[in-house]
Amino acid sequence: MLSVAARAGPFAPFVSAAAHAVPGPLRPLAPAAAHRDHKVPLDVKRPLLCRESLSGRAARGGLVASASLNAPAGVRCVHNDVTVPDFSAYRRQDVQDASASSQGSSNSRKGFSYLMTAATGVATAYVAKNVVTQFISSLSASADVLALSKIEIKLSDIPEGKNMAFKWRGKPLFVRHRTQAEISQEAGVDVSQLRDPQHDLDRVKKPEWVILVGVCTHLGCVPIANAGDFGGYYCPCHGSHYDASGRIRKGPAPLNLEVPVYQFIGDDTVVVG
Amino acid sequence: MAARSVCRAGSAAGRALLWGPRPAAALLTLTRKRGAATYAQTLQNIPETQVTTLENGLRVASEESNQPTCTVGLWIEAGSRYEDTKTNGAAFFMEHMAFKGTKKRPGSAFEKEVESLGAHLNGYTSREQTAFYIKALSKDMPKVVELLSDLVQNCALEDSQIEKERGVILQELKELDSNLADVTFDYLHATAYQGTSLAHTVEGTTENIKRLTRADLASYVDIHFKAPRMVLAAAGGISHRELVDAAKQHFTGAPLTHKGDSVPTLKHCRFTGSEIRARDDALPLAHIALAVEGPGWADPDNVVLNVANAIIGRYDRTFGGGTNQSSKLATLAVKHNLCHSFEPFNTSYSDTGLFGFHFVSDPLSVDDMMFCAQGEWMRLCTSTTESEVTRAKNYLRNAMVAQLDGTTRVCENIGSHLLHYGRRIPLEEWDARISAVDARMVRDVCSKYIYDKCPALAAVGPVEQLLDYNRIRSGMYWVRL
Repeated sequence: MLSVAARAGPFAPFVSAAAHAVPGPLRPLAPAAAHRDHKVPLDVKRPLLCRESLSGRAARGGLVASASLNAPAGVRCVHNDVTVPDFSAYRRQDVQDASASSQGSSNSRKGFSYLMTAATGVATAYVAKNVVTQFISSLSASADVLALSKIEIKLSDIPEGKNMAFKWRGKPLFVRHRTQAEISQEAGVDVSQLRDPQHDLDRVKKPEWVILVGVCTHLGCVPIANAGDFGGYYCPCHGSHYDASGRIRKGPAPLNLEVPVYQFIGDDTVVVG
Repeated sequence: MAARSVCRAGSAAGRALLWGPRPAAALLTLTRKRGAATYAQTLQNIPETQVTTLENGLRVASEESNQPTCTVGLWIEAGSRYEDTKTNGAAFFMEHMAFKGTKKRPGSAFEKEVESLGAHLNGYTSREQTAFYIKALSKDMPKVVELLSDLVQNCALEDSQIEKERGVILQELKELDSNLADVTFDYLHATAYQGTSLAHTVEGTTENIKRLTRADLASYVDIHFKAPRMVLAAAGGISHRELVDAAKQHFTGAPLTHKGDSVPTLKHCRFTGSEIRARDDALPLAHIALAVEGPGWADPDNVVLNVANAIIGRYDRTFGGGTNQSSKLATLAVKHNLCHSFEPFNTSYSDTGLFGFHFVSDPLSVDDMMFCAQGEWMRLCTSTTESEVTRAKNYLRNAMVAQLDGTTRVCENIGSHLLHYGRRIPLEEWDARISAVDARMVRDVCSKYIYDKCPALAAVGPVEQLLDYNRIRSGMYWVRL
């Protein structure tokens, strides 16, 4: 066809110039020859002289033996002599038998591998999360700083009727050991008459101990203990009177004295904060 | 101006060159009335294959088709799969020795007699079957049957010939070593079926070729060339009755019956997902074959897998389609210059098979080609479309029918079908099975064999860019719901 096209001249575009063959459905075409950009020097000592070996396209067939001082020596024959080593030592139990199909156990083997992978993944994620949070939380307040936020008070140091003041979180903390008379007096107060209605028992855990933050709820002065008209506290700045439970009775303060979070440890100790 | 007039003149003349003189009107009506037989009619009109089993177990099968020539052959259930490590190569050696004379016709007398008939003698050995066939004139059929029986039963196995053949076979092994595609497939079998007899190459190892003796070959023939494992197939202008008579005359001899209990059975061959890499950066092109375990011959899934292969398509650089090809993978290969050629394959054995693809590419395109090919597999498993299945079915029907051109092809078809399926499957049945395939079936069957399965990989040449096995194994599934 090519020669016809060449001779056709002006008719060339109209003459079918299909120079390539159409592959048949079953006969594969020989692959096109590889294009080598550089010349391979002719090696006349090559044991097998054929087109492929001269152009360097043949696998090095034939016996090839090599020996050296510091590299492994080897003998390579044709590809037929290559045998896959026996990997029985590494095989799982299900696929040890060379005459049993490996398809049957395929699902269980895969399942086991995927299960191990998933479990390891979960475990790793858990560990990683813990490590990361540990490192990041090391940037937050340290233990000694956190310790400053609590105070431990020995209750046996406070006699009955006495109010002791401590410094806690930069604020005064009042711990008052109340007498029975004070307790019953405060219990008897009519709650509905109070500006900030709260029953006494709602403000204490043990009635003989009342623990308050000693900051006036009006404008922040420190009230004086055992002063005022109600047997409790009196704030000298603007004249707020608090009772023995720390509730506001008279004066400009709007709310009762704050009751902090505290906990009795044993009989003798209270931890505030 | 002048050029344009020349072109115009050229066009008129060109048309004439292309189409030739117009046929006369009368002739035209004649051709129109004749009409062509439909495809279905043609399939139905193919003569039936007649099968007769002789007393000693030999199956005789033939398809008569009124032709002056015929092909008669023996297909034997013997091959490298039946050998063990010590006898690997016996089948191939036997094939060489078979043409070197028999007891009745020693030396070159056998070949001379074949040639005096004007006949063609040929044979091949594969992993599971051995075949010897003669193409001759139909009238010579009885003589041909006698020659075949002589070849199989009375092989001379002369010691001098055996020694001479050793050198010839070793030389042939060296030459086969340069056919890298075959080397890749041999490596693929060696790794996929490691530890089993399917890992053996057909030709055998050099050590065995040097070591095999007359006794080994004789015992191989004695065990395997027996009537119950042979099929005498014929196609062409022969009559089945005459063929059976000739077979009865020449094939009922003592050498053809098994001695007592020595019927060899095939053990199942385990498939191992694994890889073998023969890296050689001095070679210009990389040959890579990837396969999963497929079904055996008799499994109906084979039809669907062949349709799937037709969807994948083939390609090599001489294809003229460029980027306009029906195979998606081929279009990608052209657009991004991924490979020199690729082809899918579905090799079946009696109880297992290899379903995969093989490609040849430049050293720097290996990774991309593998990625695209595996992507195509995944696409087949998940989103095959009806239109491409229809196209593939038509292609497959075409290929099946076109394959049977000539008595030799038909004869081989008969022989191998009887060995693999126990019967000749007619084209009508193939057509029906192919028609029954739809996109959903392709997706299901492909997922069954491909999706998340461990493949076997063989790579020869400059394969540095081929990723490690774990990455390729990860390409066998998609992370999706």
